[in-house]
Amino acid sequence: MLKQKRDKSSKREHNPYRRRLLFFILLGWGLLLLGDRVSELRVYQGALIAIYALAIGSLILLTGYSGQLSLGQGAFMAIGAYAAALTQIYLQPPLIVTFIAAVVVAALFGAIIGGGAARLSGPYLAGTTLALALGLPTLANLFSFLGGETGLYFDVGIAPERFGAEFTLYKWFFWIAALATLIMLFFIQNILKSRYGRAWKAGRSNPAAAQLVGLQVGRRKVLAFTISAGVAGLAGALLGMVSLVAPSTFTLSLSFAIITGAVLAGLTSLTGSILGGLVLVVIPEIAEMVSGNFGESEAVTANFPGLITSLLLILTVLFTPNGPAEQWHHHKEKKKQKALEKAH
Amino acid sequence: MIGSFRKKGLVAASAIVAIAGLALAAVPAQAREVGVTATSIKIGTTVPLTGIAGPGYAKVAPAMKAYFDYVNANGGINGRKIEFIIKDDRYLPPVSVEKTNELILKDKVFAIVGALGTANNLAVNSRVRLGSRGVPSLFVNTGFSGFADKKKFPTLFPLFSSYRMEAKIMGQYIKENFAGKKIGLIYQNDDFGADALKGFESAGVKFDVSLPYVSGTQGAATATTWIQKMAAAKVEVVYIFGVTTATAAAVGVAAAAGYKPQWIFGSVGADATTIVGQTTVPVALLNGALSMSFMPDAADTTDEYVKFFREVNTTYNNNATFDNNIMAGMNGAMMVAQALKAAGANPTRKSLIAAIESKGSTWASAGYPPIGFSSTSRVGYTGFWIGKYNLTGSLIPVEAKGTIFTTDSGNGPVVKTTSKRPALPAKGLPN
Repeated sequence: MLKQKRDKSSKREHNPYRRRLLFFILLGWGLLLLGDRVSELRVYQGALIAIYALAIGSLILLTGYSGQLSLGQGAFMAIGAYAAALTQIYLQPPLIVTFIAAVVVAALFGAIIGGGAARLSGPYLAGTTLALALGLPTLANLFSFLGGETGLYFDVGIAPERFGAEFTLYKWFFWIAALATLIMLFFIQNILKSRYGRAWKAGRSNPAAAQLVGLQVGRRKVLAFTISAGVAGLAGALLGMVSLVAPSTFTLSLSFAIITGAVLAGLTSLTGSILGGLVLVVIPEIAEMVSGNFGESEAVTANFPGLITSLLLILTVLFTPNGPAEQWHHHKEKKKQKALEKAH
Repeated sequence: MIGSFRKKGLVAASAIVAIAGLALAAVPAQAREVGVTATSIKIGTTVPLTGIAGPGYAKVAPAMKAYFDYVNANGGINGRKIEFIIKDDRYLPPVSVEKTNELILKDKVFAIVGALGTANNLAVNSRVRLGSRGVPSLFVNTGFSGFADKKKFPTLFPLFSSYRMEAKIMGQYIKENFAGKKIGLIYQNDDFGADALKGFESAGVKFDVSLPYVSGTQGAATATTWIQKMAAAKVEVVYIFGVTTATAAAVGVAAAAGYKPQWIFGSVGADATTIVGQTTVPVALLNGALSMSFMPDAADTTDEYVKFFREVNTTYNNNATFDNNIMAGMNGAMMVAQALKAAGANPTRKSLIAAIESKGSTWASAGYPPIGFSSTSRVGYTGFWIGKYNLTGSLIPVEAKGTIFTTDSGNGPVVKTTSKRPALPAKGLPN
């Protein structure tokens, strides 16, 4: 039965799994080529875009698909970052193990918190996760092995020598971040298109109906929370790699920035997450350029990025509530439909 | 469907090629060292302009800029104007890392100068790898003794006498003057405070009450718990080894509670103007408090350096209230200007570092103790003078003026000597 279904779908879509894999490999190859041709600043920003895109991806899975609003992705990012840094400091395993540790530990916390959160919804869940984002990073100040306000260094070292002397620190960051993000986004994309993704969507749109057809909505929600936390943990470890594993890296404003990015990207479209990451990095850049024209006023420079972000948020909600990526997709579908109608 | 996928792939590929082409065209050709042009030399700093440590420390970078503006108005350095970029890091190490990345990648500075904070500089050196990339970081605004380790920080030069030296010198003073009294310590619980603890240990000072605080928590609420514990333990001498906002909070709360111990303020947390500005306590309340400095007091207008810096402050710094923060900023800037000049007509990052190693110990600055730079040493100033605040908030030497105590950051002895500071060069410009 299952086999039959798969056969059918592969006929219809030419094996979407392989298509997606090809797309991600192509994207990765393009990024690799690009990384060699742009300035160090752009490479550094590229790493940041990848990290934000991954964090946004984790939120899209949680909020856009399973319908749980989390204001606390920053907290899970912090857990992942501390897990990676502590693993590296105390065990010194190969680099990849530290990233796996970040995912596993953050997912574990996600499962515990998700277990409680599945009983909450809407503003109550938002409030709980907000408290988490506020409270958790400050725990670092209570236990000396977490390094206090100064934090810990999650040091991925420099690139192996075989990459050559031209291989800068930032390129190394970019490679790691982009690779991790591409693999993770591919993984999320596949989950979202699987029966889990459909079950989450069903539970989000109409929990009662979903339960009626036999879906265990609560358990699925916990699963979504767990996966999302694991992904956020990886994003956190990557951010810790570029910056510092410290409470002031994982602030409330980071959590909010990720939500902003997710909303701008479209909460239900994973491809939009890369766009969201891009927007988060580009907005301060544009703000700096524009505020430069107003002179060097400190008040303008400090508040301009906030103004642009707010404006973009309002415009997004007004004109493309599902995000530009989703809107474009929608537009294409409509066109296709029209073409079909015409053909008939 | 296959067709659509191929089309999609083509679109993606062409987009990538287009972006790559644009980027390729945008990379400029470079002939001189990064940040140096025929007419300018670009340097930058990270300091708290806002945030918990902002009050007081926010005045350091503008004071540096004022001195650089003065140098520029007098012809610049070897015909080049100094372009100085200030970034606010709010005293948060992750932000310092981010802003330093910006200074290097976006602003493309020649060197970092006067970056402030122990944890901040440690984070930047580890995460941005200034050392292996050869980016100089001159005269950091911190007294952490670890920065004198040339192997670990090959491009970094500390200037301040270290916290370890400070703790050793004041430790000896405490033993000589407060024997038998109950002594308490409040310190910042990071490498900044830990450095001082090592100094106290080598001086053999023990504290009856020892209260660490987490950077960022030094508000009135935390200070209340300090003062309650100190008062409950009947501590007679309270030593605060923290940032200025911590000193201000402690003094303010103690004054309100009527608790009057003998205060000792750490050198980087002792600026009278900032303490008074942050609290409602009258400046007279600081009367009798002990502190130490390696520079003359900001209120000492008989000193030629103070006089000169005050003139620069009037013309180039909007006549800001002159204090130790401005002194520290201008003094560091003066050292930077001499280093840039000594780096030669075509300065490189390497020639800059070589110049400081070979000539840095002879340069003019307001600091009383000798400077220890050499090809093997990265130690800046090597001592302090001890003073007591008077009714108007000026630090008055407890010994004859010019008497300093020199020592090292290890277990060497504390030596009492007289300052042989170089005289102010003509017009206060590097010669």
